[in-house]
Amino acid sequence: MIRFLLRRTVSTAAVLLVMSAVVYLVFYAAPHDPAVLVCGKGCDGTRLAVVRHKLGTDLPVWEQYGNFLRGLVAGRTFDSGNDVTRCAAPCLGYSFQTDQPVLQMITQRIPVDLSLTLGAMVIWLLLGVGTGLLSALRRGRLVERALTTLTLAGMATPVFLVGLLVLMLFCASLQWMPFPTYTAFTDDPAQWAANLVLPWFSLALVISAAYARMTRSSLLETLAEDHIRTNRAYGLSERRIVLGHALRGALVPVLTMLAIDVGQILGGAMLTESVFGFDGLGRLLVTSVNQIDLPVVVGATLFAGFFVVIANAAADLLYALADPRVSLA
Amino acid sequence: MTKSRAAVAAAAVVLLAGFTAACGAGGSTSSSAPAAFDPNACQGGTLTVLNHRGQGNFDPAELYTSGGGKVPTLVFRTLTTRNHTTDGPDSAKVVPDLATDTGEPNQDATVWTYHLKPGVKFEDGTPIRSADVKYGLERSFAPELPGGPPYLRDWLVGGEAYQGPYKGGELASIETPDDSTIVFKLRKPEGDFPFLATATQFAPVPKDKDTGTAYQKHPVSSGPYKVVSNDGGKSIQLDRNPNWSRAVDDQRLACPDRIVVTSGLDQSVINQRLAAGTGDDARAVTTDTNVDASVLAKLNGDAALKKRVVTGYFGETQYLAFNPKVKPFDDARVRQAISYAIDRESVVNAVGGTAVAKPATTFLPDQPAFGYTPYDYFPAGQSGDPAKAKELLAQAGYPNGLTITLDHSTVTGDGSGPEVAAAVQQALGKAGITVKLEGTADDDYQTKYQKPATEPGLFVASWGADWPSGGPFLAPIFDGRQILADGGNYNSAQLNDPQVNAEIDAANKITDPAKAAQAWGRLDAELGKQAYTVPLFHPIYKRLYGTGVKNAYVSQWNGLYDLSRISVK
Amino acid sequence: MSKALTAAQAPGTTPQGGAGPRADRNQVWRRLRADRSAIAALAVVALLVLTAAAAPLVAALEGQDPTTYHNALIDSATGGVPIGPFGGASAVHWLGVEPGTGRDVLARLVYGAQISLSVSLGATVVQIALGVLIGLAAGLGNRLADTVISRSMDLVIAFPSLVFAVALMAVVPSGFPRPLLLMLVIGVLGWGQTARIVRGQVLTLRGLDYVSAARLAGSRRWRVARREILPALAAPVITYGVLQLPLNVAQEAGLSFLGVGVRPPTPSWGQMLSSATNWFQADPAYVLLPAVLLFVTVLAFTVLGEGVRTALDPRAESRLRAGIERRRKKTDAQEVPA
Repeated sequence: MIRFLLRRTVSTAAVLLVMSAVVYLVFYAAPHDPAVLVCGKGCDGTRLAVVRHKLGTDLPVWEQYGNFLRGLVAGRTFDSGNDVTRCAAPCLGYSFQTDQPVLQMITQRIPVDLSLTLGAMVIWLLLGVGTGLLSALRRGRLVERALTTLTLAGMATPVFLVGLLVLMLFCASLQWMPFPTYTAFTDDPAQWAANLVLPWFSLALVISAAYARMTRSSLLETLAEDHIRTNRAYGLSERRIVLGHALRGALVPVLTMLAIDVGQILGGAMLTESVFGFDGLGRLLVTSVNQIDLPVVVGATLFAGFFVVIANAAADLLYALADPRVSLA
Repeated sequence: MTKSRAAVAAAAVVLLAGFTAACGAGGSTSSSAPAAFDPNACQGGTLTVLNHRGQGNFDPAELYTSGGGKVPTLVFRTLTTRNHTTDGPDSAKVVPDLATDTGEPNQDATVWTYHLKPGVKFEDGTPIRSADVKYGLERSFAPELPGGPPYLRDWLVGGEAYQGPYKGGELASIETPDDSTIVFKLRKPEGDFPFLATATQFAPVPKDKDTGTAYQKHPVSSGPYKVVSNDGGKSIQLDRNPNWSRAVDDQRLACPDRIVVTSGLDQSVINQRLAAGTGDDARAVTTDTNVDASVLAKLNGDAALKKRVVTGYFGETQYLAFNPKVKPFDDARVRQAISYAIDRESVVNAVGGTAVAKPATTFLPDQPAFGYTPYDYFPAGQSGDPAKAKELLAQAGYPNGLTITLDHSTVTGDGSGPEVAAAVQQALGKAGITVKLEGTADDDYQTKYQKPATEPGLFVASWGADWPSGGPFLAPIFDGRQILADGGNYNSAQLNDPQVNAEIDAANKITDPAKAAQAWGRLDAELGKQAYTVPLFHPIYKRLYGTGVKNAYVSQWNGLYDLSRISVK
Repeated sequence: MSKALTAAQAPGTTPQGGAGPRADRNQVWRRLRADRSAIAALAVVALLVLTAAAAPLVAALEGQDPTTYHNALIDSATGGVPIGPFGGASAVHWLGVEPGTGRDVLARLVYGAQISLSVSLGATVVQIALGVLIGLAAGLGNRLADTVISRSMDLVIAFPSLVFAVALMAVVPSGFPRPLLLMLVIGVLGWGQTARIVRGQVLTLRGLDYVSAARLAGSRRWRVARREILPALAAPVITYGVLQLPLNVAQEAGLSFLGVGVRPPTPSWGQMLSSATNWFQADPAYVLLPAVLLFVTVLAFTVLGEGVRTALDPRAESRLRAGIERRRKKTDAQEVPA
């Protein structure tokens, strides 16, 4: 067990390192000079050189990457002689366009994605697993066919489409609720939930389809396994077999899928945030892409990758813990 | 105009697009009359400002404002300011703020003297001295604090070479003979100096509290509110400044106890929230977002909503700029052909229709303060005259049409974006001109066209008023001595005509605004004949405010309600 | 990463399935024909492809084009809302006109279909080509190559490709043709699953008798790959490709929705939907049309994909019920862009 964890940690760190190098290289090979954007009006050659020096973009790219890595551990100081900008460790870069450390910009937005993900997760699990369970129990019947069609339709709908339609329906036409605006949980929990209901359901509706399929197929497999057949032979009711025995085993792949999805959405739900106008990590990325704020683009991308890699590790661990057939060695 | 370190929000945008919480100049009517309002019973509550663009660096040296700005004017008092107290034509006038009058010029308007009002204080209770105003101005020369208007550098003696107080010592052309007197020595006559003195660069900065580039996080207030929190200009919270009182400030009412600015919101979201007006949004306004179709469509059937929409005009022109150094735009007939072919109706519709934009045939905004002189040398009618355009093209040697490239920004919604470019492309197509569109992300786009070496042949641009006068509208665009090779150039035609330069100098000498306006109007009408630009439209500001907002009358300086006069009680 | 991540296989494409290397094409077609929903989906897809290909014809039939402005048909004073019910639909403009410009909606939709379909198809081809090449290299290469490639696969699969696509669009020079760029970005970020499937197949096939026989008979490694393995890969790769198509349609729409897709005046569905946030109150028809079209397209491709999968491997379902198939892994699930 400990060896597994240790190995996982090392390989996760390695993956993160490789990823950061790739991301860094790609974005700094881009044909944009961040110094020009920072330097501003009437920026002449000497002034530009000073800014480049301050930003460290006058160095070869591997040295820049080295500085970036060092900044993560030791923090960074951008210094042009009399104009010093500090970025405390762990420094994920500094956005000179907004004059803020990238990490700070990211951490400010995490609550949005956390709220979005956790609420939606509960709904898509209930919805997805429930649907999957029902269609496995009623297999071959009309209910199953209907559910399969619904699931396919769910998978076919991009989340921004669902979001637009619910906004149109509930906020504009029926006017059952106001247009959502993100309210922090700490400010007003009731408002927080009220504003998140539509985004939660939109996101959950789209994602739950995959869970329904996974639950169904996984359940069917488990039902075909020997010990279940034995139970059936003993005359246990199908309901009891499914709920009492099969479901637990069938949910293992669902759990691991869940870890990955949560990791991905935590890193930024760009489409959902855009439709509902929430200012989360996804929108941060889109905005900084449009403004070519490269340090933020690099930071936000890496951060999203970070969640994914961690989620993958968690998924493997979950899988290993839940399924004795996978060895932890 | 320009781009500061907070390129995103501040400068260029402020003036170019006229969208940021800063600029102004205008003329209009308003829907709520100030008469029934009792300023003595207006205090209390929290005013929320919902904005699209961020404020950028909240440093008085880096802000680029007109008339002191919308949010900045709550924190920074300047020597003079726009007239906050009324909504008539007088609101386009300059009034004293920290100073006792709008400035005493010498004979030829090259020396300007100001005296500070007694009793004015910073937020910590220290009296404001003339040296603080001088220091604030000097800071704006520091290359570390870019973004302010270019005029100071151009006008003050020695301004061109001065590097700010961190490296360059003091600037000798600003004198402070005593604690309440400040004297400016200009290298040429500038009748508009009182207008410039409304800019935040004229706000006092206590030298011992200056933290350089970090000052923007907590600038020291001289106005009715002080900065409590400031998240990179994205969200700002202002609370009442106890060391300010109406006794020393006749311009600001400062009714709300607290003002919270939230930006980074989608424009549609801002309109939805203001229209719905639930919760805190009832006491909300916006300084940068026009109503959109969803609101406009409802106005006729919803009288209550209609009452909450104010209409104003900010002196701004959206136009196509030619670079005659690039072929075929060196040929006046090609430029004229394009002027004839333009379909202003499509362009206006593309940016939101006649409610928010008015077709323009003159470069100067159509308000008297600018010296508006109507002309339409290449009448394109409502939707273009392709036949006339083809005729001119044939004369220029393109009987079978030609292919050109139109540069634009990729940002939708600010008037220089793809929607405008596509409308132009479509109109020119009818005249046999094939237009290739070249979109560039916002900041890159500005960098690109503001540098003669990289300036495209034809691009969508805009120019907003630094103050309601023809000078700051025409000089940066047509003065041959303002061609800047290193960037920040707005003289897109790279025109350096001695006669035009001489006329600009002559107009600058005039200290009577009415006479100056005439001179600028004449100059604009002459320049128009050259077809260096194709004026497209003048924006109209149509803004919503929340149900609980009172005293939201519109200034003719910046086309918007004044945050320092609004009450939410 | 662990076994759990690397050993996965594509749903229903195990090599012992009915669609072996020598699968009978007629048989597959017969099975597909028997699947009514798949046939319906195929018809919809065919209609879409035809319409997109004949976009100029469709527009000509209506007498419109996607770029002409009709200012008389919109109400400038209220922000440019089309005059008349259902987005200004009329005998001249069958599906109404675009708010703000008065451009013909039908023409823009059919031209938008061109972008949507060509980008998603192109991206799928890029994904498959890269995936097959890389998967083959992993399956046939030495241990080190396999390890390195497998790890990269894990990363590519796990990474939220929308995030990276948006970021990539920022750094490519503006002169690069956007539809091609979209194809490449979606394609290059999406080869992971194909490569994993191909690798798995190759590893299995390598152990099969006829492949071993060919090798024993002295065939070179790449010759074996070409003659014996590639044909056997056809079925799973096609299945996967068809299943991937709808995701790519959604991905393109998503990128355009976020404002980093094709540039105006090129019409695209995602773009139309992204301006929808401003219009769904004033002109719902303008939102509903591209929304319905996008939904139908993705749904049709998805149903068709399911049909093709079943036709190529009809015993998957029964095997599943019988519990013969290997336990599914979490990576069977495909990423849903959030």
